[in-house]
Amino acid sequence: MISLPEIKWCKKCVYPSSSAIPLTFNEDGVCSGCQVHEEKDKIDWNQRFEWLLELVEPYRRSSGPEIVIGVSGGKDSYWQTHFAIEKLGLRPLLVTYNGNNFYDVGWKNLMRMRQVFNCEHYIFQPSIDLLIRLNRLAFRRMGDMNWHGHAGIATLPMKVAAEQNIPLVLWGEHGFTELGGMHSHNDLVEWTKRHRLDQLQRGYDWFDMTNDSEDKIDPKELWWLHYPNDELIKEVGLRGLYLDMYSRWDVRKQTALIKDRYGWEEANFAFERTYRTTSNLDDRYENGAHDYLKWIKFGYGRATDHATKDIREGLMTRTEGIEMVRKYDHVKSSDIGYWLSYVGKTEQWFDQIADTFRNLNTWSQEKPGEWRKMNIWD
Amino acid sequence: MLRRRLIPVLYLLNGFMARSQLFKNHQLLGHPKYHVDRLVEWDVDEVIILDISKEFETFNTNRNDYREGTATELEDFIKLISTECRIPLTIGGGIRGLTDVCRRIQNGADKVSVNTILFSNPEEVEEITKVYGSQSVVASIDYILDGENFPRVYLRSPNALKNLNLFEEIKRILDLGVGELLINAVDRDGAANGYDCETIQKIVDLSSVPVIACGGAGHRSHFVDVAQKTDASAIAAGNIFHFTENSYPNFKDYLKSHGENFR
Repeated sequence: MISLPEIKWCKKCVYPSSSAIPLTFNEDGVCSGCQVHEEKDKIDWNQRFEWLLELVEPYRRSSGPEIVIGVSGGKDSYWQTHFAIEKLGLRPLLVTYNGNNFYDVGWKNLMRMRQVFNCEHYIFQPSIDLLIRLNRLAFRRMGDMNWHGHAGIATLPMKVAAEQNIPLVLWGEHGFTELGGMHSHNDLVEWTKRHRLDQLQRGYDWFDMTNDSEDKIDPKELWWLHYPNDELIKEVGLRGLYLDMYSRWDVRKQTALIKDRYGWEEANFAFERTYRTTSNLDDRYENGAHDYLKWIKFGYGRATDHATKDIREGLMTRTEGIEMVRKYDHVKSSDIGYWLSYVGKTEQWFDQIADTFRNLNTWSQEKPGEWRKMNIWD
Repeated sequence: MLRRRLIPVLYLLNGFMARSQLFKNHQLLGHPKYHVDRLVEWDVDEVIILDISKEFETFNTNRNDYREGTATELEDFIKLISTECRIPLTIGGGIRGLTDVCRRIQNGADKVSVNTILFSNPEEVEEITKVYGSQSVVASIDYILDGENFPRVYLRSPNALKNLNLFEEIKRILDLGVGELLINAVDRDGAANGYDCETIQKIVDLSSVPVIACGGAGHRSHFVDVAQKTDASAIAAGNIFHFTENSYPNFKDYLKSHGENFR
C-alpha cells in the first residue's frame, strides 16, 4: 500500500479540501461554502430587494435597453431575465456566446427566449475552425477544452454593454461564493476584471492563445475576446451586479417558476457524470469531458457540486450525497469520444495530456497509469 | 502638508489572498498575482502584503493549470509578485530576524512589516532598523478594545503576553527605530462598520513617525471619515478593494472630491 495524500471533507456537505474553488474550514471542520450559505437565513432579503431597486433607479431610460444579461438559455438565464423584466421593470438586452457545444434541448430553450420575453437578443458565434483550435490548445495548455467558453461568456456581455453604452449588466449567482464561500453576501460583490481573469480564465487572456506552434491562432481572430479597457469602463460607468447578493438564490423555486411560466425544458436524458438534469444544457462538456478533467485534476466532479448544493438546501442528506459522489464522480463519460472526433485526436493523446494535470496533493500513482486517492467513504 | 496615502493590504493565507474577518474567519479570494497586477494598473500609492498563514512560507496553491503556475518558496513568491510591480511593496508575516528581512528585501520587497518580534525580540528589531534603516521597517501592531474600551495589544500566539497597554507599547516600539506604524483594530477587521478614529488620533498624537490606520472600511464614506477626524498619514484597508470594479481609483476620486489631500 502506498500512502495517499491527505484530503479532508467538509463535515456538512461533500466538498473536499482539494476543491478547485479554494476553501477554508472552521474549527468544526465546516467549509467556507456551508458557512456562507448559513448567512442567508440572517439576511433581510426584502431590504436587499429595496437596495437593488434603489440601485437600478438611475439606470432607467426613455428608450433602448437598460440592462445587459448574458444568457445561455439555461434555468438561471430565464430567471435573471424574468427578474429584470418583472421585478425590476427594466428592459434587457440579451447576449449569448455560442461555443458550438449546445445540446438540442438547450438550444431550443435559448431560441424560445425571444418568444417568451419581449427583448432583443444578440448571439455571437465564432467560426467552428477557430473553436476547434481553441479547444485543442486550451486542453493542452490548462487541461480544459472549455476555456473559450469561460472567456466568451465572461467577455461578450461586458463588451456589448460597454460598446452599446449600457452601464448595467446583470449576472446570476456569484458561483465561487455560492459553492465555496469566496465572499460574504454582505460584500455586495460586483463583477471585476480581476475575478474574470483569475477565477474564470485561470489567468489566461486572449493574447496567451496566439503564440502556439501546433494550434496556430492569429491575433486578428480573437478581437471578440478583448475586454473593455479601464478608460471605457469609467466613461460608460460599467458595472456588473450579481443577483444572488440581492435575492435569495433558490434554484428549486426558480426552476419551477420558469418551467411553469415560460415552458423551459430540462434534459429528457440522463447525464453520465451527475444526477441533475437541469444544469449546463448549453455545453455538453460541462457535465462531461470538462468535468471529467476536474476529477483528473482535483479528484471530484459535478456530482459533488450538485450534492453539495442539494445538501445545503436540505434536499438531500449527506449520506445520500456521498452515494451520488460514489456513483458519478469517477465516470469517464462518452462525450470524450465525441470531443476527440471533433478535434481529430485519439483517446491515448487525451489521457496522456490529462494525466499531466493530476494534482499531486490529491493523487498518488501506485504503478505507472494507476492513480489512487482518498475517498470520502474511506 | 504631505499628501496622504491610500494603501491596499493583501492578506495571504497558504498562497491565496484572503478576505479576513475579526482575525478569525478567512475566505480565499484567489491568486495574489492577478490582484497585484490590477493594483499596478491602478497606480496605487503602495501595497502591503501580510502572510497570515499558520505555517509560515506555505505558498503552494497546487494549481498547475494556471497561467502563472504556483510558487513554492518565499523567493519565488515575491519574484512572482514584484517583477512587474512598480509600486512600493511591503512584505510582512513570519519575520523572526535579520535573515528573514534580508530574504524579502533582496528578492524585491521595498519594506518589511514586523509584528510578533516587536514583543518577543525587540533587540532584533533594533538590529534590523540599524542595518536596513528606519524607512524599511514598518511596525505592525494589532489591538483590541477591552471591557472598558481601552485598547490592548493583540498577539496571535496563545502564549503571548496579555493585556499590554497599547499606548505604552507604541512608545517603547518607537524607540526601536521603526519608520512607520501600521495600526489594525482586530474587532473592526472585516466588520465594515468604520474606523476607530479615536484610538487612531491618540496614536498619531504620541507618534513621531507616520501612522497607517487599518480596520473597518466597509463604505467609501469611512475613508473620508478617518481622513477628516484623524491626522493619520495613510489609510489602509483589505477586503473592500476586492468587491467592486476599479475600487481603488474610485475611492481615491471620492476622497479628493471631499477636499482630502491624497496623492
